[in-house]
Amino acid sequence: MSDSVIEIRNLSKVYRDFWGRAKVRALNSLSLDVKRGEVFGLLGPNGSGKTTTLKLLLGLLFPTEGQVRILGEPAHDVEKNERIGYLPEESYLYRFLNADETLDFYGKLFKMTKAERRERRDALIKRVGLEHARRRQLKEYSKGMTRRIGLAQALINDPELVLLDEPTSGLDPLGTADMKEMIRELKNEGKTVVMCSHLLADVQDVCDRIAILFRGELKVIGSVQELLEAKEETQLVTSSLDDATIREVESVLEKHGANLKSFSHPTSTLEELFLRTVKESEARPGRRFEPGERPSATTES
Amino acid sequence: MAVEPPTFQLGLALLYWLAAFTSCCVMGLLVGFVASLASYGRNGPRVFRSTLARGFQDLVKVSWQRCQALASLTFKEATSRKAFLIGFLFILLFMFGGWFLSESNVEKPAMPYITFVMSAIYFLLNIMALLIACWGLPADIKARSLHTVVTKPVRRSEIVLGRMMGYSAVVLIVLAVTSIFGYFWIQRQVPERAKDQLIARVPVYGEIRFLSRSGQPAKSLTNVGDLWDYRTYVEGLTQARAIWEFDSLNVSELRKQGYVRLEQSFEAFRTFKGDVSDQVRYRITLLNPESGLRVPMPESYDVNEFSEDPEASVVIIPEELTYVESYDVDAEEKTVNLFDDVFDGNSLTVEIACIENEQYLGVARGDLFIRMPDRPFYVSYIKSIAGLGMMLILVVGLGTTASCFLKGPVSTFLTGSLIVLGNIFYEFVKDIYSQKVVQGRVLGGGMFESMYRLVTQMNMQSPLPDNVGTDIIKFLDERVFNLLFVVNAVIPNFTYFNTNQYTANGFDVPWMGALVPSFLITIGYLIPLIILGYFSLQLRELESK
Repeated sequence: MSDSVIEIRNLSKVYRDFWGRAKVRALNSLSLDVKRGEVFGLLGPNGSGKTTTLKLLLGLLFPTEGQVRILGEPAHDVEKNERIGYLPEESYLYRFLNADETLDFYGKLFKMTKAERRERRDALIKRVGLEHARRRQLKEYSKGMTRRIGLAQALINDPELVLLDEPTSGLDPLGTADMKEMIRELKNEGKTVVMCSHLLADVQDVCDRIAILFRGELKVIGSVQELLEAKEETQLVTSSLDDATIREVESVLEKHGANLKSFSHPTSTLEELFLRTVKESEARPGRRFEPGERPSATTES
Repeated sequence: MAVEPPTFQLGLALLYWLAAFTSCCVMGLLVGFVASLASYGRNGPRVFRSTLARGFQDLVKVSWQRCQALASLTFKEATSRKAFLIGFLFILLFMFGGWFLSESNVEKPAMPYITFVMSAIYFLLNIMALLIACWGLPADIKARSLHTVVTKPVRRSEIVLGRMMGYSAVVLIVLAVTSIFGYFWIQRQVPERAKDQLIARVPVYGEIRFLSRSGQPAKSLTNVGDLWDYRTYVEGLTQARAIWEFDSLNVSELRKQGYVRLEQSFEAFRTFKGDVSDQVRYRITLLNPESGLRVPMPESYDVNEFSEDPEASVVIIPEELTYVESYDVDAEEKTVNLFDDVFDGNSLTVEIACIENEQYLGVARGDLFIRMPDRPFYVSYIKSIAGLGMMLILVVGLGTTASCFLKGPVSTFLTGSLIVLGNIFYEFVKDIYSQKVVQGRVLGGGMFESMYRLVTQMNMQSPLPDNVGTDIIKFLDERVFNLLFVVNAVIPNFTYFNTNQYTANGFDVPWMGALVPSFLITIGYLIPLIILGYFSLQLRELESK
């Protein structure tokens, strides 16, 4: 079995107008592989060709040049979709259906039996946290709820490969954290995930490898770890030190030919602070923090 | 008078369909091949071959479970778009429609009510089918909800089929509800004195052939100079005969009835006035071609063409027939049983002769029929509704296919045009065709000749000048005519579906004359429509900008 789940070779896409004249070259000779079991991120600013790449993978668009193989099959092959889950940028679902009906409908498209559909539907609704709204029509859903049900429909067939287009767009930090957690879970289950996003922090948190596209061309590709590592510097994190100890450390470093560039208390991310605040508030309703006070990391549990 | 069903020859229709289908396929393949060469250059033939192979697989390996899921989704979608409101509109129409209906037809007071119901259903549901079928898929593509479907293991053929099934279910449910409502409305609104007209008379038409004045088989008889040559004329007191052969009769039903009821609508043509109170008369002879038995009916009958009494045109043939073989005084009387001796299996042959010297009897195929025992009104009503149902399915098929490659408004326009053309174009082209075949030319010429005549203010009869310009005009017109005939062969003939005339006139809707053709036309069109819809959707970039 090939190690690559997705193989893209010299893929180009030119959008044309009614008369067949080239309007825009959305993708230019893109080549990349996605390995089995990894979380792969396609990054780039708006209009860089991320979504076009995903749509070419799914057969929603036809390539102008080049080849695409997903799970060993060409992009236009219908059977390969048995093993793929796709969450579009906007959750383009049928707004007149409720969550149960939506998952039941997509389950039927995979020729699942009634019992299988019911079991899978219940599990997914629980997993994406929509138990309280399962009978409400999707047109009544908030953006975050729509993304959740969108993810549920993408997972209805327990796919090997999950393609996520801007999975965290429009989600609040809580929803974003949930989504990222679910992506990590998918990875732990051995699934391959390809996500495209322009929210760099999200990608950094969950992706093993990334590719950066700019104006349809591949600029950078590699593992997140490798790409972000600053090998010319070393970072030490210790418990809080007094001034005398800091001066002592500085002199030791000078003795070894290194100099201390800066020292400060480490800060957490805004996302972490937000999540802790929400969880603390849920745990202790009515509690207010004084100016400058913050929920401690221990309240997370 | 009866409503004569059009003749429908199953074998010929099938051959015609095969020829049209094959021609369309060949043309489609040619266009596809040229398009793939233009798009993919040297790789064109390979792409063309693989597209065809994939298309064949996708059309053959259809999953009914997925089709049902998509049909069910389509049904819910139509429901959410308030498609069923058309039913309320229908009911509203009936709440007040009765106020405006007058019994203008003195002979058939029930007719306006039946026509109103059938026409209302016909127009309202046609519009409904047109709109939901033409707008559903483009809206789905625009909202991109189709993207989550096509990224599942769903074949495009299943999408086309599922859509067609779903929309058909919606229109058929509305049709069923409105028909039931319409039926009870008719029963309630038709005046008490006209209730007996709510029946389904069952005329059985035969095939007609002729014997000339010298007794030889002939294609037609005398033409008395009528411009409209619907009838041909049997010359009185000659060997000219019109012979009807009625096949596939339900003999046991007739035997139970105990007689055969013949109804005629002949027309007399007089070469001299004579006594105006005297009718032109005719004689009936029953034949059994197998045994050679000839049974002349003892009486002669009046044409009664202007009688208001419907029974005046009826001839009852009893089961026991007593006759004499010749007009000799000594000729022996014989008695035969109609069903055992005169019927040849389940066929009856009837010969008509005019017995007025130098007078003529105008006959056409539909002028003589056997009336079987009447059936209840609902039988004909249900059959009429079934015909409408078939038409609605075809409209859904046309609309869905058009919406696979066109946007909502354009596909509505295209499908609507096909419906209008399918109702009027067929007769128009048939008329042109018959003029070309019978007279060798079309009066006033084709498009270019007509334009020339309009510009030069030349009447339709005057010959065109003999020059190169005329040759060019005739050449171009010939091509336009050919194009018209081709288009006519492709556009569905919607006239078969509208069986209102039978029900409204109190006749049963014939299976072979109306329902079977409707069913076959629907199936005959749905097959190529599904193929066309599939390839349109398959070769279309759903995300194209």
